[in-house]
Amino acid sequence: MRAFIEGLILAFVSALAIWGAIQVPSPTPGETWAGVVPMGAALALLVISIWLTIGGLKVGANAASSASNNKGTIHVVLLFVISIIYQQSLRWFGYVLPTAIVAPVLLYSFGVRSWVGLALSIIVCPLAFHLIFFKLLGVFPPVGEVFDLLGKLQG
Amino acid sequence: MEIFPALLSVITDPTLLAAILMAAVVGMIVGATPGLTASAAIAMLLPITLYMSPLFALAFLYVIGKSGRYGGSIAAILFNTPGTAASAATQIDGYPLALAGKAGKAMKVATISSVIGDFMGDIMLVVGVGYIAALALKLGPPETFAIYFSAFVVIGSVIGKSILKGLASALLGILVAMIGLDPISGEERYTFGNFELSNGIGLVPLMIGVFVLGEVFSQIEERANSNGDTKVVGGDSDDNSLSWEEYKPCLPHAIRGGLIGAGIGILPGLGSALAAFISYGEGKRRAINPEEWGKGALEGVAAPEAANNAVSGPSMAPLLTLGIPGSTIGAILLGVFLIHGIQVGPTLFITDKELIYKLFACGMIGIVAYGTIGYFGATQVAKIILKIPTNVLYPMIFLTAFIASYAARGSLFDVSVMTLAGFAGWLMRKFDFNIAAFIISFVLAKGAEETFRQSILMSDGGALIFVERPIALGFLLLGVAAICFRIRGILKERKVAEGGLEDA
Repeated sequence: MRAFIEGLILAFVSALAIWGAIQVPSPTPGETWAGVVPMGAALALLVISIWLTIGGLKVGANAASSASNNKGTIHVVLLFVISIIYQQSLRWFGYVLPTAIVAPVLLYSFGVRSWVGLALSIIVCPLAFHLIFFKLLGVFPPVGEVFDLLGKLQG
Repeated sequence: MEIFPALLSVITDPTLLAAILMAAVVGMIVGATPGLTASAAIAMLLPITLYMSPLFALAFLYVIGKSGRYGGSIAAILFNTPGTAASAATQIDGYPLALAGKAGKAMKVATISSVIGDFMGDIMLVVGVGYIAALALKLGPPETFAIYFSAFVVIGSVIGKSILKGLASALLGILVAMIGLDPISGEERYTFGNFELSNGIGLVPLMIGVFVLGEVFSQIEERANSNGDTKVVGGDSDDNSLSWEEYKPCLPHAIRGGLIGAGIGILPGLGSALAAFISYGEGKRRAINPEEWGKGALEGVAAPEAANNAVSGPSMAPLLTLGIPGSTIGAILLGVFLIHGIQVGPTLFITDKELIYKLFACGMIGIVAYGTIGYFGATQVAKIILKIPTNVLYPMIFLTAFIASYAARGSLFDVSVMTLAGFAGWLMRKFDFNIAAFIISFVLAKGAEETFRQSILMSDGGALIFVERPIALGFLLLGVAAICFRIRGILKERKVAEGGLEDA
């Protein structure tokens, strides 16, 4: 069943890629079409996905699905949600505030239960990364579109 | 002979020597830490190298790669968990040796064999790379495309558990590389009207996502699914000394392993894991004590360790001469070259010959560095690793991934790409897709497309040009042969497995 679903997902991706390649305008005379490689790769992917789907159908009846690793998957999805929120917060609130909030959340989700450690991470993590990347390496920090704590702290 | 002045130049540069030493330590620790890979460390450090000189950056990352390969053996022997895929073969005899109280001995054999293999590979690289570059200069677009094609097929089909998923991973890498403006006609591809996508997907955020964030996702999943601790064997009371009499039978296996590794290393994509297993199999076949292999034979550690490290040097040959990375580390190093505005290919040996030989010299000094540290301090390195609190380490890696992907171009779009690539990388690992094939294909795609379209223009639209030119045809057939051999290998394995079941 798993191979069947994987095949179907790949087929969907390849169909999307074929559609995207079709959108590429035709070449001017004497040039090659810019969509030739994307189209070729997408068609090859479609063939593989059909192969996988058919293979999945053949073994599907005998395969038993396992729910034993659902707990881990839930943890990954939660961490992914944190990642999405964090990367969007960087855009809205700059670097310092989101990092100060996310650092203890991450440490907690990885099993750190020391309240002192979690509290320290609120200060230490943004400060350490700020010193390494924005001071030592001279990278220009992201400025928050809505509110920027770093800007406020620096006056 | 260019290597000698290069060696002299590197030895007399204390800053560079310090960087090599640091890289050797970092690589060893990263390689020996289960769940961390040299690729992840290099991907994470890549943005930092933007602020270094090209030689400093390349040498630092190259030595981390070399030392990381060796470091994997420490975890394989002591923790029964290969730190890298390449050290899985070392585990077969390494862990039984550790259980028998010979962990220190096994690690010394691993160190000496790694150094022998790595030096053999590097010497072959230094001697042969100039000839390959001269040969590569004579290749036209059809031949170059055929080489790219065979690289895609070999990388997609040979490494990983499934040929179909490996090839699908390679194709996905090509499709992701196509996002953005076509460099020839300027037409938009897969941008869906998004301005940020028209700049294409950056190599740095993609690599950090797939290798670093993807690994953090895998680690949190593993932690949630298992509550077992890593069992560590070996200690101060063990028999850690190694005499010449004990190493003497290992030497032929190390030399043979070095030759196997160097031979495999020159072929893009085959990788050090394959070299290690072939060397182990070949070593066992020729051994005078095959019954002891798998139960704790020192020769069983020497053979795979020499092979997996010997891959490192020659795998640079296709990268430097043709721009085709043979491994994920090679793909990252290609990124460093590009970031610093250095065009990789046969002309590199005309434009930046001094830099390249200095890089080789740094690699050789790196071998001495990790060899010395490993021989005298591998057990101490293992103790350090056990003290690293992983529940703090992975959150820090997570945060570094975000800031490092931003730092590369100062772009928050890159952070979004990294986040999505991280999740995609985890999915690919979970469903046995091949992330190495995905990344290497992503890196190769643009060059392959350019040579393909140049060839089509040369032949007035006919694809027969690839068949009419013998070198091009040869490489195309090599790709087909790689798939055939892989299918044959899988069928053979299946037959053996079925036979085994019947016997049971």
